Amino acid sequence: MTTQRISIDPITRLEGHGKIDIFLTPKGDVAETYLQIPELRGFERFCVGRLAEDMPNLTSRICGVCPEAHHIAGTKALDALFHVDPPPTAKKLREMFYCIFYATDHTTHFYALGGPDFIMGPDAPPEQRNILGVIQKVGMEIAGRVLKMRRDGHNLIEMIGGRKVHPNWGLPGGVSRGITEEQRKEIESLGRDAIEFAKFSLQLFNQIVLGNREYVQLITSEAYTQRTYNMGTVDANNRVNFYDGLIRVVGPDGREHAKYRAKDYRDYIAEHVEPWTYLKFPFLKKVGWKGFVDGEDSGLYKATPLSRLNAADGMATPLAQKEYERMYETLGGKPVHHTLATHWARLIELLYATERWVELATDPEITGKEYRVLPTATPDEGVGCVEAPRGTLTHHYWTDERGVLTRVNLIVGTTNNYAPINLSIKQAARSLIRKGTTVTEGLLNKIEMAFRAYDPCFGCATHYLPGQMPLTVVLRAPDGRVLQTISRDGGHAR
Amino acid sequence: MSTTARIPTCPTRSVADPASERTLRTLVLGLGNPLLTDDSVGLRVVDRLRSALDGWPGLELAEDYWGGLRLMERLVGYDRAIIIDAQRSGAPAGTVSILSANAPPTRHGDSAHDVDLWTALEFGRQAGAAVPTASSIRIVAIEAADVDTFCEKCTPAVAASIPRAAEAVQSLLIEWR
Repeated sequence: MTTQRISIDPITRLEGHGKIDIFLTPKGDVAETYLQIPELRGFERFCVGRLAEDMPNLTSRICGVCPEAHHIAGTKALDALFHVDPPPTAKKLREMFYCIFYATDHTTHFYALGGPDFIMGPDAPPEQRNILGVIQKVGMEIAGRVLKMRRDGHNLIEMIGGRKVHPNWGLPGGVSRGITEEQRKEIESLGRDAIEFAKFSLQLFNQIVLGNREYVQLITSEAYTQRTYNMGTVDANNRVNFYDGLIRVVGPDGREHAKYRAKDYRDYIAEHVEPWTYLKFPFLKKVGWKGFVDGEDSGLYKATPLSRLNAADGMATPLAQKEYERMYETLGGKPVHHTLATHWARLIELLYATERWVELATDPEITGKEYRVLPTATPDEGVGCVEAPRGTLTHHYWTDERGVLTRVNLIVGTTNNYAPINLSIKQAARSLIRKGTTVTEGLLNKIEMAFRAYDPCFGCATHYLPGQMPLTVVLRAPDGRVLQTISRDGGHAR
Repeated sequence: MSTTARIPTCPTRSVADPASERTLRTLVLGLGNPLLTDDSVGLRVVDRLRSALDGWPGLELAEDYWGGLRLMERLVGYDRAIIIDAQRSGAPAGTVSILSANAPPTRHGDSAHDVDLWTALEFGRQAGAAVPTASSIRIVAIEAADVDTFCEKCTPAVAASIPRAAEAVQSLLIEWR
């Protein structure tokens, strides 16, 4: 019988009204934890009966943080649905656009969301543990560099994708327009700046995080270690690719478990249902659902930046490859199962995204005029898949012969990670809360760090779009009396 | 607070900065998701204002969907801003409130993936971005009934509040003249 409950409701700095309940045993240890997410209603019903061509634009409105990922996944699903193979220029334009988005997104996560825990310290007061604290500690120059990186990314996404708010560019068989030589030069120039920014960010991580023995111990501690399977998209050489390739899954020991085309995902992934949450838990079908446990016999898998690196044999660009090798050398070889190392992996991906951005911007075909093939086949069913920053994103559409949607299924990045996030929370809570522990804001922040590393997007996972909310933690006695209340309001006095 | 502002006519003179004699730039920005029932109300208010505010000196109407750093970046270059957004505060659906920039968050003012609006504005200022001062930002918040269902229409109470919210925006603009 549990005697106390700690509620973290809702979670700070996370998309969605997530709520964590921590149940304590009579002795005061952690018995169980639950991360619950509310349901958003009617997305499939909303889509059915509409034209499939609308999906890249409709789905890009599901989530405010990664509309570009949904736009590209939806566009690739249309390629498959209409049985059309886009010309090389279109594929390269899409991938370049996507790398620019990735670089912008990963930058924001490191400096505004994940980084403050390390740069300011996990026990720093919450009013300092944010991006303002980061610039005070690291220097004002970094503020301008972060803003420039974001501004350049947004401007280029608008230039290529056609709109500031939501792209309207992807079409079955290609894209609606190409780029001029003048635009290409600008994309290349800003891409070279972005490479320097990514290198600087890794240097900062090296100095502040890896140069601090306590942080390295924190990253490699058992509280933040889960030995699950890992998933990511790889190219023909088993290198990380965000836009296209085969889905590769490796086991906890790093050996290849599966490698498949996106369209075959249902042969490999099944979904488990729990009575206490609306969201389903994907797992590896051939291993099976064994509950919220890790290990080779449990079908839990992660789809995160670290997972992508674990699932691949390396990075496809030279500077990122060097950083990849250094990370595994530092952390004891592949695979790495330390959840907090996801922040490091994210920065290596940032560097890869910027290098690939410039590679594509200097590709002779990128300014080609053949950027669309008109589809002529009758549509029926199509799957499109990309690596979203928060995990493998799959769009699956079914239509009638007119291209009118009859069924829709999405598996979004955060959904892949729902079970591992729950496992990570439980493990961190059990390590940090024991009999007699005084529950402080800093301690709760360390539990939050366990899932903040995933950068989960419950808006995507439930197709939900709330704003940031404050955090309140209530510790209750068996009779419901409030023993302790801890609250914070997101980092500043409102 | 609830508002019942009168509908102003288009001003006949420029809104000028006494120091520079230039027309102050004002952004009226609707936030929301057009597919999520009442979440779209900020966008609908902006849509309603387009013809009424046509020709207003220095004024731009725009739409966006996200808060935090992105919202701060959207405000760069403007002297003043009115943000229109849905809210879930527990008030009756359709209630229109005028809030300051450091009020409790509306649906899209903050970003759970980076920072709240106040922090974003402070970050922008420290980075040298020309963002409006906190006192030059107002938020017109409309209490939503349903933000959980995919639908392209607002609920009746929220739909009925759109004219009042539009009037509130116009009243603020008149105050700033």
